[in-house]
Amino acid sequence: MNDEHVIVVDLGFGDAGKGTIVDWLCRDGERSAVVRFNGGAQAAHNVVTDDGRHHTFAQFGAGTFVRGVPTHLAHTVLVDPFALAGEAAHLESIGVGDVFDRLTIDERALITTPWHRAANHARELARGGNRHGSCGMGIGETARYALAHPDDAPTVGDCRHPKTLRRKLDAMRERLGTSDWAPDDDVPAHDVVDLPDVDDVLEVLGLFTDTVHIVDGGHIGGLLDRGPVVFEGAQGVLLDEWAGFHPYTTWSTTTTANALAILAEHGQRATRLGVVRTYTTRHGAGPIPTEDDSLTALLPEHHNGTGPWQGRFRVGHFDAVAHRYALAATGGVDALAVTHVDVVNTGDASVRQGICGEYRTDGGVPWAPVPPDGHDLDRQARLTETLTSITPVIHDAPETAEGWLDEASKLLNVPIAVASYGPTAAAKRRICG
Amino acid sequence: MGSGAWSTNVYSAAKEYRTRTGKSAFAYSDTMSGTNRADWRVHDSLDPTQANIRESRDSDEHPTSQAISVIFDVTGSMGSIPRTLQTKLPGLFGLLLRKGYLAHPQIMFGGIGDATCDRVPLQVGQFESDNRMDDDLGNIFLEGGGGGQRTESYELAMYFMARHTSMDCLEKRGRRGYLFLLGDEMAYGHVKASEVRDIIGDDVTEDIPLTDIVAELRTKFEVYFIVPGNAYHGRDAAITKFWRSLFGQNVIVLDDLAAVCETIALTIGLNEEAIDLAEGLEHLTDVGFDSTDVVGKALAPLASSRSIAVTPDSLDAGGALDVPGKAQRL
Repeated sequence: MNDEHVIVVDLGFGDAGKGTIVDWLCRDGERSAVVRFNGGAQAAHNVVTDDGRHHTFAQFGAGTFVRGVPTHLAHTVLVDPFALAGEAAHLESIGVGDVFDRLTIDERALITTPWHRAANHARELARGGNRHGSCGMGIGETARYALAHPDDAPTVGDCRHPKTLRRKLDAMRERLGTSDWAPDDDVPAHDVVDLPDVDDVLEVLGLFTDTVHIVDGGHIGGLLDRGPVVFEGAQGVLLDEWAGFHPYTTWSTTTTANALAILAEHGQRATRLGVVRTYTTRHGAGPIPTEDDSLTALLPEHHNGTGPWQGRFRVGHFDAVAHRYALAATGGVDALAVTHVDVVNTGDASVRQGICGEYRTDGGVPWAPVPPDGHDLDRQARLTETLTSITPVIHDAPETAEGWLDEASKLLNVPIAVASYGPTAAAKRRICG
Repeated sequence: MGSGAWSTNVYSAAKEYRTRTGKSAFAYSDTMSGTNRADWRVHDSLDPTQANIRESRDSDEHPTSQAISVIFDVTGSMGSIPRTLQTKLPGLFGLLLRKGYLAHPQIMFGGIGDATCDRVPLQVGQFESDNRMDDDLGNIFLEGGGGGQRTESYELAMYFMARHTSMDCLEKRGRRGYLFLLGDEMAYGHVKASEVRDIIGDDVTEDIPLTDIVAELRTKFEVYFIVPGNAYHGRDAAITKFWRSLFGQNVIVLDDLAAVCETIALTIGLNEEAIDLAEGLEHLTDVGFDSTDVVGKALAPLASSRSIAVTPDSLDAGGALDVPGKAQRL
C-alpha cells in the first residue's frame, strides 16, 4: 500500500472513520495529495492530531493537517463555496493557515447554493415525519436540479464568468418553490423563506473565485503522475444513490466507482480500502437492522450530535451481513481498515457488543440482501421494507481486540490492513499490506 | 442553516473570503506548493547562503538607521503571520514614524522551520527602509501545514542573526538592533554544526549550546519573543516558561496574532521611552487599529516591569502614578 494510490470508502452508513484513516495514510510522507470524488459539504470527517487539535473535514481533504498535502475536488464533487470559507477559517484558527494554497477544484464541479438548500429544507419539511435523513445542506437538490436543468446548473467554472453565473442564478431563483424546479417532483411546491439576494450570492462566488485555484480536467492527471494519491470517499456505500436502501439514500455514488473511473481514464490503478467500525452507526433516518439503544450509552459519540435536519446518531451491533452487501455493491475491496477497536468490550460488562453474522426471516429462514443489477429504486424500496421485518442473529463478540479483528476479517473474507485504537494517527496499527 | 459542520451563511462567507485578499501576494509559496516536495527550496532573495551578511546601513536619506528584525515560525499556527504582517505593514510604519518612536526604521523579515524535517528551515531577507520588504514577505515559502512537533530550529535563526548581521546602529551609535522572534514551539538545545554547514554554509565544527548563542545574540540585539497566548495545544505554559528562561520579561504572550504589528510597534515605543503603554494604546486608536485590548493585555507585564525597574526617587511624585490604569512612564 506504500507506493500505490488508495481509495478509501466506508462500508456502512457513513461515520466509520474515513477521515482518521486518510490522515494516517498521509502521515507517512508518501501521499502527494488527497482527492475527493463524491458528495459535498455534508461530509463530516473528524480528525484529531497527536497534539489534541480537532477538525471536522467537510470539503478540505482529511490529510490537510499534514504539511504540504493538497486537496483536489474532482468534477464529481458538489462544491459549496459558502461552507468552504468557514471551514478554512477554522483550520486557520487551529494552525493550518495555508489551506487555500493547497486546494484545487475542477471547473466542471457543480456548486451548491442557498437556493438548493432552501429547496432541501422545504422538501424535508413537506415530508413531515417521513424525513429521509437528509443533512439539510442542499446536496440532493444540487444533483436533482442539475438533472432537470443540465444547462442551467451553475458550476465552479461559471464562477469565473459573472454574466453566465447571474443568468443561471436568476433562473434558479425563479424556479425555486415552483413545479418547474424539478419536473418529476414528488413533493409539492412549498413556501421558501429567508433567502439572500442574488447580488450577495454573486459577491461571495466572486470572492471564492479569487481565492481558490480553479483547474481544468487535466489537473488530476498531473496529480496522479506526481505520486500516490488518496481518494477520500464521502458517506457510506450503504447510502449509495442506487445501491442504498431507498429512499434513505444520498444523491451520490458512494462506492469506489467514481474514483476507479478517474483512475482508469489516466491508465492507473489503486488499492481499495474499506472502512468499518467495530459497531454499526447511522446518523439520521433509515434502516439499521442491528440497532440497540443500550449500546448508544456504552459508546459515546464525540463528534456527531443530533442535527436539526439529519436527526440523531444511532448505534447497533457490528453487522457483517450489511457489510457483505456493501462489499458486493462496491465490487469488493482489497483490504479493511477497522476503527474503534479500542472500545471492543471495554465498557459496562452488562452490555456486550455483539456481531451479527446472519439475518433470518419471520419464518426463521436465513436471508441476505443482494445488491441491485442496474438502477431500480422500486426494488431498493422493497429491500428496505424487507430489512425492517428480518431478525438479525447476534452473537457475543470475541473478548479481545485481536480475536475480534480475526473474526471480522473471516466474516467479510477480506484481510485487515490497519486497526485504529483511537482518534489520532499514533493510535493506528498496521496489520498487513 | 444546514446541519453540516460549517456555517453556510452568505454574509459570513463573504467576510471570510474578504479577509484573505492578500493571499495571492504569496505567489512564490503558491508556485512551490504545486511542485514536488523534493524541489521545494528557499527563494533566492531569502537564501541564508546568499549575500551572507545582512547589513543595516545609514544613508543620506536615512542617517540614523535602526535595525529591526522580525523572524517568525512559518509552520503550524504561525502560518498566518506573513499575511498579517503584509496587511498591517503600512500601519506598523505609520506608528513608528508618525508617532515618532523611531526616525529611520529598517526592517528585515525571516522565516523559521525545523531543520530536522523541513525542506526550507531558514529564510532571511534584507534590512529595508521601504516597501521592498513587502517583496521579501511575498517570497517567503510557507512550508508548514500543521504538524505538531514541539521544536523548531529557532537556534539556527539566532545563530544567523548573531554572526551574519552588521548594523550601523550598533557599530556607529552603540544601539543594539531589535529582534522579534515569533513562535509557538521550543528551540533545540544546541546549534548543530552540521546544520550550520548545510544551511548557512559556515565552516563550524562544534555544536554551540543554546544559552551561548543567546548570550552572543543579546550583545547585538534587544531580543523579544512573542508567543501566542490562545494556543490550541494546551501546552503554552511550558513553551512560555522555556522562552522566559532565556529572555525573561522580554517574552510577550499575545492572545491574537492578528495584532502582532501593533504589538511590535508599541514594544519599540516603550523601549525607546517614546511612550508609556496608555499613550501607545491611544496611538493605536489614532492610527485605526481596534486591538487596544489585546495589545494592552500582552504588553502590561512588560510595561509594569519597566516601571518597577525605576527607583522611587526618580519618579515624579503625583505625576503619572495617580492616573488610574495608566502604566508608568520611565
